[in-house]
Amino acid sequence: MRRIVSVLAGIIVVCCVASFAFAGPTIKVGIVDTYTGPVTTYTYDVRDGFKMGVDQINAKGGVLGKKIEFVVRDDTFKSDVGLAMAKELILNENVDILMGTINSATALAISELCKKEKVPFLVTFSKSGKITGEKGHRYVFNLNENTDMIGRATATVFAKKPYIKYWIAGDDYEYGHAIADAIWSHLKTLNPKVQMIGQSWWKMRETDFNPYITQILAAKPDFVIVATGGGSMVNFQKAAQATGFNKRAPFYQHTGIELSTLMPQGQNAPEGVFGTANYLFYYPETKVNKSFAADFEKLYGRHPKSGALYGYMAAQFIANAYKKAGKIDKEKFIDSLEGMALDSPIGKLEVRKCDHQIVLPMFYGVTKKSPKYEFLVGGDLVSIAGKDYMPTCEEISKARAK
Amino acid sequence: MGFLEILFSAGTLSQILTGLSRTTILFIVSSGLSLILGVLRIPNIAHGSLYMIGAFTAYSVISFLGGGTFAFFAAMVAAPLVVAAIGFVMERGFFSYLYDREHLMLLLLTFSFALILGDLVKIFWGTEFRSVEPPAFIQGSAEILGLPVPYYNLFLLAVGPFIAVFLWLVVNRTKIGKISRAAAVDAEMVSAVGINVGWVFAFTFVLGCFLAGLGGALIAPMTSVSLGMDHSLIMEAFLIVIMGGLGNVWGALLGSLIFGLSQSLGIMVWPQFGIVFPYLAVVVVLSFRPRGLLRSVW
Repeated sequence: MRRIVSVLAGIIVVCCVASFAFAGPTIKVGIVDTYTGPVTTYTYDVRDGFKMGVDQINAKGGVLGKKIEFVVRDDTFKSDVGLAMAKELILNENVDILMGTINSATALAISELCKKEKVPFLVTFSKSGKITGEKGHRYVFNLNENTDMIGRATATVFAKKPYIKYWIAGDDYEYGHAIADAIWSHLKTLNPKVQMIGQSWWKMRETDFNPYITQILAAKPDFVIVATGGGSMVNFQKAAQATGFNKRAPFYQHTGIELSTLMPQGQNAPEGVFGTANYLFYYPETKVNKSFAADFEKLYGRHPKSGALYGYMAAQFIANAYKKAGKIDKEKFIDSLEGMALDSPIGKLEVRKCDHQIVLPMFYGVTKKSPKYEFLVGGDLVSIAGKDYMPTCEEISKARAK
Repeated sequence: MGFLEILFSAGTLSQILTGLSRTTILFIVSSGLSLILGVLRIPNIAHGSLYMIGAFTAYSVISFLGGGTFAFFAAMVAAPLVVAAIGFVMERGFFSYLYDREHLMLLLLTFSFALILGDLVKIFWGTEFRSVEPPAFIQGSAEILGLPVPYYNLFLLAVGPFIAVFLWLVVNRTKIGKISRAAAVDAEMVSAVGINVGWVFAFTFVLGCFLAGLGGALIAPMTSVSLGMDHSLIMEAFLIVIMGGLGNVWGALLGSLIFGLSQSLGIMVWPQFGIVFPYLAVVVVLSFRPRGLLRSVW
């Protein structure tokens, strides 16, 4: 009996301490993202970049006298799991803000939940244009580029090139099709002369691209748009290098010049691949970008990729929005985040008021060898300003009205 | 273009060649899966994870030795052996205690191994994509009727028959191979004549894992070595085994041929929907021969 009493007493003490801890002076952020499987190469960067930002903010005393703390949940890339975790974070953990995910379907599901529960949701890596487009609302913010923006930015570049006969190829899932559709529809508007002579779609995580490459080369296109993501980025470039595809048919990939694609291949990546990226640790060569990259490398022993920037900036936006709001309140937080512009390692980033989409520059370039690094980098880099490839606020409100 | 025109176009030969090189990898992996399924009656879901470990080990060996031809061949030997050793521990340490239990238990155990091995890969090798190059003498590509066929694919084409002959010799010409075939038909009878069935099972399991590791090592120079590479392959390997006849190694060869060729030729006919052809082939085969093309040992 005595033992039971002491155990019960113990439980009560633990509960009290725990509840004090929860009610303590912190701002709580819940992160739902995928931490298993191949996409971890992107999501770990978001998490680590966010942690770096949060640690710096907390070291300076936090925001409004409160520290930022965060809890992480692994949704294993499954939408239903992610949604359940988001619910748990809202109901049990009482988070002030939700963040995540890399899976667009999960992001859209959590976005609906946050609309109902009135909790701000910051999207850090999902690329679906629907998140801040037709499915956008007051409680969702997208802090990275989306497929619609990628399509517009790419189309502005290629509309000026002399290519006429295009072939479109890509991963047969939503991201691949969304990128291809966005590029193609904007390219056709900007340059009505272009024609699509064929398409090929392979399954996600295809390992052997040679049969597809042979078929594309036989059709002799002027240019090939390759809409791949994740592991297929490297796989396709390796196949292009082995077959000399890039020398016979020039091709483009979003993130084709990014570190996640080029670093694994070392000196053997194909040269002359056209690509876009939203973050490169070596460009722009500004002091703030260099010091951001150096800080990240010192902490984690690797160069930061785009996810690191998004995570880091999420922390900055959270801190500054609360500072501006003057109190910890979800509605006030949203009001002050709307239209907020902050300095970042790649220049000023703005959270657009009308659709809650971040406005950020896009870097366009061509893969080439570098005397400085053991891997290829983006060469002949051009920066496309965010305002030049955003859908207009009128287009957004039209899409939302549908 | 008319159908016949496509069939006799310059692309056909290179499509057949690349399709056949794909067949080699599929055959190596699915024959290992089929062996284990036939003799031990385990549908080894962790087979894909072992293939992934083979690829990562090959990556590590090649980077450790600094690349080059020797490093490549060292990796092709070392990676399957490492995977075989893991297989030995799995079989002796875990599976061997569960043979008298129902098959569901074994299935669940292989599933948990798939998860555990996947996480171990993440802990050991991290989350970045990895990539290795083929040795210099098989880099680049040959030109066949104006279209490129990578030398590495041709190398795989040459390796395939060796593996098939090796497997045939092991299964048909060695004592342990013959015993394992007998055990596949009637394990009780084999043990009744005084043979330690446990070790026959261990041998077969280790051989199957060796093949998974070899498949992973051979695919490494063609693709990015990364987490999740196990998932797509395990699906295909199971389909091939089912199509060929459960537990029949030659069925696995036939299934791999159908799968590899229907994909590469399908892409040529209809590139937009190329991915459906191998699955269509599976449906057609199973509609006519629901128990698989060749005799199933089950």
